[in-house]
Amino acid sequence: MAEKTFNLTRDMLDHTFADLVTPDREKLLTCIQCGTCTASCPTAYAMDYTPRQLWRLIQLGLKEEVLTSNSFWLCTACYLCTLRCLRGIACTETMSTLKRMAVSMGMEKLSSSARFYEAFRDTVRRHGRLHEVELMATFFGRAKRLGAMGYTRLGFTLWRKGKVSLDASAVNIRGLDQIEAIYRKVEELEAKP
Amino acid sequence: MRYSYMPGCSLLSTARGYDTSARAVIRELGSELVELEDWNCCGANAIESVSYLLSVALPARNLALAELSNRELVTSCSSCFLNLFKVNHRLQREPPLRGRLEEILAAAGLRYSGKCRVRHLLDVIANDIGVQAVANRVERNLSGLKVVPYYGCQTVRPYGEYDGPYLPTSMDRLIEAVGAVPFPYLWKTRCCGGILMTTEKAIGMSLVSELLAAAQGADCIVTVCPMCQMNLDAYQREISVQLGVRIHMPVLFLTQLLGLAFGLSERELLLDQNIVPVSGLLRQLQTV
Repeated sequence: MAEKTFNLTRDMLDHTFADLVTPDREKLLTCIQCGTCTASCPTAYAMDYTPRQLWRLIQLGLKEEVLTSNSFWLCTACYLCTLRCLRGIACTETMSTLKRMAVSMGMEKLSSSARFYEAFRDTVRRHGRLHEVELMATFFGRAKRLGAMGYTRLGFTLWRKGKVSLDASAVNIRGLDQIEAIYRKVEELEAKP
Repeated sequence: MRYSYMPGCSLLSTARGYDTSARAVIRELGSELVELEDWNCCGANAIESVSYLLSVALPARNLALAELSNRELVTSCSSCFLNLFKVNHRLQREPPLRGRLEEILAAAGLRYSGKCRVRHLLDVIANDIGVQAVANRVERNLSGLKVVPYYGCQTVRPYGEYDGPYLPTSMDRLIEAVGAVPFPYLWKTRCCGGILMTTEKAIGMSLVSELLAAAQGADCIVTVCPMCQMNLDAYQREISVQLGVRIHMPVLFLTQLLGLAFGLSERELLLDQNIVPVSGLLRQLQTV
């Protein structure tokens, strides 16, 4: 990646940022920029900032620069960076926190991933289990992606093979009231400051 | 031994062959999987990206249900395994979480002590049942078959609970136990891209292409994760067109391979549901 220069001003920096994004701020602050995370990452090549660069931006408090990047959206949670980090930084968990934060602040760059996760959450709330056809339909509907066409052939193959059913209610569990109670309680707890 | 069993959502649909073959193989090996009644989705990778508490509470409901039976909870999906295992891990490491989880589960009339042991099916086969018992059960020797042991990432990471988190060997040993040869493959635990295949397809395709390219020379790939199997199996035609090279690599669940070695029929293992046809592989086995 080409070198990028920031003209740092006080209002660009949020020194509380590191506290918010990682379960263990002290560890993140000890990052020595060795780059083991980036070398381990299967999707670093497509990221605006590699994982190593991302940690440095977080240390500095460049919140907007971090949250509007595509980097953490490309994290597949393969945990190789977490496993290898010499400083024991919870890299993968930090990536997940960034996803949640970017959505809550309306800064998500790769909205397709965000819409996918939300569609997943809503499908599970309705049925207690995942119904893949409903998930894909909801996702492609909300993401307004023409990309859906690319999957129709695969969808047909899966249906022909008897791998997917079109009836979403077939996956419903009996304890749907428990699932609903869990979702509501979580919403209540997360609404508290 | 009897285990509580949570197949996970994929095993009811796209990975039915995994569920069917897992139950059959475990039965052949003299153990029993008792399906956990009314289990729910564990949240996969998706829920942690929208809600931390929900990512703990959803798998915790299953643990609360499983705890009542006093059996260990086995799952065949790597994502389910990680999510369930992580609940126990986090409850130990993050004391404030316990109270919050109690409050959420109480709203659903449930309670969880944190003590239900979570196991991956691979762990159970390799370490409880053991390589020797598997070898003893072989009826059809798969000798000479070159098999890629593809573990994927979350099968062993991050905790490395029952096998090495970089270069695990439990599947390699099981492949040897049925007379086949583990294909040397350094990308055993390299990520298949997971849901990127849906959300950012170009990246997903590139990861899967690399994995398939590195497997050339082998007869098939085996895996123990429904997501890995789907990604490696379902896009080979598209990848062949992109690369201009014909890729034809059957991708089986480990339990389908073991089932073949145990003499189970194609139907019992739902091998006809695999997208890349396994007919060539079966013919090859007959000539062995």
